[in-house]
Amino acid sequence: MSTTVQDTTATSSATFLSNIIGKPVNVKLHSGMLYQGTLESIDGFMNVSLAGAMEYYEVESSSVIHKYESDVFLRGTQVLYISEI
Amino acid sequence: MSDTPLDLLRLNLDEKVYVKLRGARKLTGTLQAFDSHCNIVLSDAEETIYELVDGNLRFETKTSEMIFVRGDSVTLVTAQPEE
Repeated sequence: MSTTVQDTTATSSATFLSNIIGKPVNVKLHSGMLYQGTLESIDGFMNVSLAGAMEYYEVESSSVIHKYESDVFLRGTQVLYISEI
Repeated sequence: MSDTPLDLLRLNLDEKVYVKLRGARKLTGTLQAFDSHCNIVLSDAEETIYELVDGNLRFETKTSEMIFVRGDSVTLVTAQPEE
């Protein structure tokens, strides 16, 4: 039981973020904009850089608003969540 | 390959960038400087402000030779796509 608690402490959320580098992710911002792309890098501020990012509003089943040809920088303070696809 | 997201901004120094801001605004210009707060200095900048007027999307542009953008309104930065 105690190990379960320990596995869900701060270290494992940091581990999650470092483990998903290079994987396809969804990043949602407070504005509701959703970015889907390959996670290039992430830092302690939760700033994110994505390769091949597609921009949607709220859900990826809505139409693509924009496809970014170059890497995209997303500011950490605007990030609502990051999820592995 | 950049190891942190801010390295991506460094790679775009002296290049044309596209900056999305809060409140349906965007800026394009040449990236002169930035810091860890995402405060950004752009030269030859053009601001585009979008608004809905009676259901129609309108936009207005403003240009400035040099502009300092406070980091807290920045949401996204990327290289400006070739037109």
